[in-house]
Amino acid sequence: MNVKKPLGLLIILIFLLVLTGATHAEELRVSASVDRNQITADDLITFTIQIEGTSDFPDVPPPQSPDFVIVAGPSQSSSIQIINGRMNASKSISWRIAPTKSGKLVIPSVSITYRRSVYKTEPVIVDVSGQSASQPQTKQVPPAPQPKASQGEGVLLKAIPSKTTVYKGEELNVAFALYFKNVRTYAPKKLPDAKGFWIEEFLIKSEPDITTENLDGVTYKKAIIKRLALFPTTSGNLVVDPFVIDAEVIVPSQRRRSIFDDFLDDSFFDNSFGQTKVVSVSSSPLRVTVQDLPELGKPSNYSGAVGRFTISASIDTAVTTENQALTLKYQISGTGNISSLKMPELQLPNTLEVFEPKIGKSVNNQGDAISGTVTYEYVLIPRSSGRIRIPPVTFSYFDPNRGGYVSATARGFDIRVNPKGKTFASDRSSLNKEEVSLLGQDIRFIRRDNSGWNQISSSVFSEFWFWLLTVSSVVILIGAISFRWWIEKLETNISFARKRRAWPKSQKAFVLLDEKLKMGDLSGLASILNQILVGFISDRLNLSSAGISVAEIESQLSEKAIADETISRIARILSELEQLRFLPTAADAEKYSALVQEEKELITLLNKAI
Amino acid sequence: MNIHKIFLVILMGLTSVAFAGNDQSADYLFEKGNAAYQNENYSEAIDQYQSVLALGLESGSLYYNLGNAYYRTGAIGLAILNYERALKWLPNDENVRFNLKLANLTVKDRIDPPPEFFLFRWIRQATNLLSSRGWGLLVGIFIGIASIDIAILIIAEVKRLRTFLKYLTGISVVIVIISMAGMIPRHRIETGKNVGIIIHYSVQSLAAPQEGSTELFVVHEGTKVAILDKDGDWLKIELIDGKQGWIPADDLGII
Repeated sequence: MNVKKPLGLLIILIFLLVLTGATHAEELRVSASVDRNQITADDLITFTIQIEGTSDFPDVPPPQSPDFVIVAGPSQSSSIQIINGRMNASKSISWRIAPTKSGKLVIPSVSITYRRSVYKTEPVIVDVSGQSASQPQTKQVPPAPQPKASQGEGVLLKAIPSKTTVYKGEELNVAFALYFKNVRTYAPKKLPDAKGFWIEEFLIKSEPDITTENLDGVTYKKAIIKRLALFPTTSGNLVVDPFVIDAEVIVPSQRRRSIFDDFLDDSFFDNSFGQTKVVSVSSSPLRVTVQDLPELGKPSNYSGAVGRFTISASIDTAVTTENQALTLKYQISGTGNISSLKMPELQLPNTLEVFEPKIGKSVNNQGDAISGTVTYEYVLIPRSSGRIRIPPVTFSYFDPNRGGYVSATARGFDIRVNPKGKTFASDRSSLNKEEVSLLGQDIRFIRRDNSGWNQISSSVFSEFWFWLLTVSSVVILIGAISFRWWIEKLETNISFARKRRAWPKSQKAFVLLDEKLKMGDLSGLASILNQILVGFISDRLNLSSAGISVAEIESQLSEKAIADETISRIARILSELEQLRFLPTAADAEKYSALVQEEKELITLLNKAI
Repeated sequence: MNIHKIFLVILMGLTSVAFAGNDQSADYLFEKGNAAYQNENYSEAIDQYQSVLALGLESGSLYYNLGNAYYRTGAIGLAILNYERALKWLPNDENVRFNLKLANLTVKDRIDPPPEFFLFRWIRQATNLLSSRGWGLLVGIFIGIASIDIAILIIAEVKRLRTFLKYLTGISVVIVIISMAGMIPRHRIETGKNVGIIIHYSVQSLAAPQEGSTELFVVHEGTKVAILDKDGDWLKIELIDGKQGWIPADDLGII
C-alpha cells in the first residue's frame, strides 16, 4: 500500500487552508461611541458604531435597550483610504437616540456577525440627569437644554403640546412660545421636523399677542410664534424635533441705568439705544407617545379617520334616461385628520358605469383645531333602464374624545332610469318565423264567460265532494271486504260458525218454548230446556252435544274461568231437568216458567263470558 | 275515521257553501271590469279585476282579462304574470296562449329554454288537459264505480254480469290511476308558489340577500324564473339557463 499519496494530499490541503485562513484573517475592529455622555432627559444623543478593517461591511443591528428609543437613523457614512499601499476602509453607522428615563443608563453592546465570527462593541454609559419632558406642563420649569447663553440673553423658546399621549391619527397641537425680554426681531432657522407625523400649520397673526409670564421668578414677555397641528401616522414613541430660530437680542448698553431704562426695555419694538446680537434659540425636542387605535369595535370599513365627522350625500337627479350621466356627491366634513380621509368604497350596481371621483379638499387652519371638508363627486352613467339602488354609505371614524368608533351614514338613493323609448326585443334576429309573423298583431279580446270561481291557491283537495266521493268509496270497499270475510269464516270455520250461531239459536228456541208454555203444553219441556242449555254451551265451546255429561260441562266451564256460583247453578238446573224428563208431572207451569227464566239468565251470563 | 276528520270534512263543505255568496259579487265585479275594458278604461278594469282577487277568488278568465288590461297599459311584466296565471286554469286555451306569446315578444331577456324531450312534453300536455278538479272528479267517480263493482262481486252471487263487472272494475281502476297521475301535478301547479315573473323593468340579481352585495346579473321585466328559496324580503331565483341570484321579493310576481 502506498502511503505517500494521501500524505501529499494532506499537506496540500493544510496549505490551502492556511492560505485561505490568511486572506480571511483581516482584523475587523468595531467600536461604539456617543457624542455626549452627560445629557438631560430631554436631549438627544448620537450613537455611532464604527467598523474598520474591511471593505465588505456586515449588517449592523440597531442598539436595543429599553432605556432608549431610536428617534432617527440609521445614517451611514463610509470611507476608504489607501496609505502606503494599505487599504483602510471604515464605515460608521449612527442613530439619534433619546433616553426614556434619567440616571446612569447603559447602551448595551451590539453584536455584529462577520464571516461567522461575532464582534461586540463595548457598552456605553450615559449619564442622564434632569427632568423628563413628560412632566406636567403646569410646572414652570424652563427646559433644561436651553443653552445657557440664550437664557442669559433673556430669550427662551418653548414647545407647548396640547397633550403628550395621543391616538394614531389624533390631532396634537403644539404651540411654540417665545419668552423674551428684549428681542427686536427673529427669523426661523430650522422649522420643527417630526418624523412619523403629518403636519398642518395654523395661521398665526403676523403681530402676535404679547403677554407676560413668570418663569423661575423672572418675568418674561411671551408670544406664540408658531402653532402646528400634528397628526401621527405611526404609533410608538415619537419625537418632534426642536424649532430653531435666530433672535436679534438687544444687548443692554453699559451706560448707567436711568429711569427710562425700564420703559425702554419694555419694548418689543426697535430699541435704537441698544446694540443687537443674534442668538440662536432652540426649543427642546418633544416626546409624544402615540397609541394604536383600539381593535375593539373597529368597523370593517374603517380607513383611518380620527376626529369628528359627518357625511352627506346628494344626487343631481332621481329620474334619468339610459346613457344619461348623473352626478353623485358625497361630502365628509368635520375636525380631525381631514387630509388623510379616504372615501369608503361604493357598492354600485353593475348597470352603472362609474368614473373616478373628482376630489375636492378644503382645510381650515384657523381656530383651535384643523377642520375642513372633502367632497367626492362621482359621475355615473346608467347603461340600462329600470330601478337602480344606490345603497347608503357608512363612514366610520374614531372619536378620541369618546375613545370609540362612530359610524356616520349618508343616505342611499333610488334612481328611476327610463328606457330610451320602448322597443320590441332588442335582438330581432333571435325571433323565429312564427314570432316575426306575430309582430304586427294585437292581443285577442277579453273573455266574457267565466267557468266558475275558485278560491285562490286551492285545488281539488279543498273540495268537499272530492273527499266525500273517495272516502265513501273506500268505506264501501272496506265494508264489502269485511262482510265477505265474515261470510267466509262462517262457512269454513265450524267452531267459529257454532260459536257465532249459538246465541241466535238459543233465542229462537226460547221463542218456541215460550209459545209452548203459553199454550199450556208442558210435554217434553224439560228435554227442550236441557237441549237449549247443553246445546248453547257445547256450541260455544265447540264440543259434541251428544252424550255430554254434567261433570264434563262443569270441568270445561271452570277451565274457561266461569264463576263457581254460575257453574253450580248450571249443574243444579241440569240435574233438575234430568229428573223432570223422567217425571214430567213433578212440576207445574209456574215451576217451568221459573226454570225458563233462570235458563235465560244463565245463557245471557254465559254469552258474555264465553 | 275519527271525529276530528269528520268535523274537518264537514267544515270544508260548509266553507265552500259560505263562499258561494262571494261568487255573486265576484261575477258583478268581473262584469264591471269587462265593461270598463270595452270602454278602453283599462286602469278601471284592472281595479275591478283586482277586487275580485281581493275576495279570495280566481279564475282563468279573470286572469286572462287582467293580463289584457295590463298589456294595454304597457305593464308587460304584469300582463305576462296574469297570462301565466290564466294558463293554470285554462291550460290549453288558444287565446291565452296567443296573447302570452305576443307579450313575450317584448321581453328583453330572451332565454331559450332547453328543448324538452318529446315524451315529457306529451305527458305535460296530457296533464294539462284537465284542472285538478277535473282530474279529481274522475278519480272520485271511478273510484266509486270500482268500489261498488268490487262490493257486488264479492258479496252478491252474480253470475251473468260477473265478466262485465270485472272489466268495468279493471277499466275504472286504470282511469283512477291515470287521473291521479294528472291530478297531483295539476294540484302542484295550481297551488304552487315556485315560479314567478319579473314585474319591474330591470332588476339586479345579487349574490346574497342583502343590499350592496355583489351584483351577478340583471333580469328584465317579463322574464320567467323559478323560486328556489326565501329569506325575509328576498327571493332566490333561477333563470331557465341555470343562473341563480337573489332579488327583492317585490320585484317578482308569483304565478
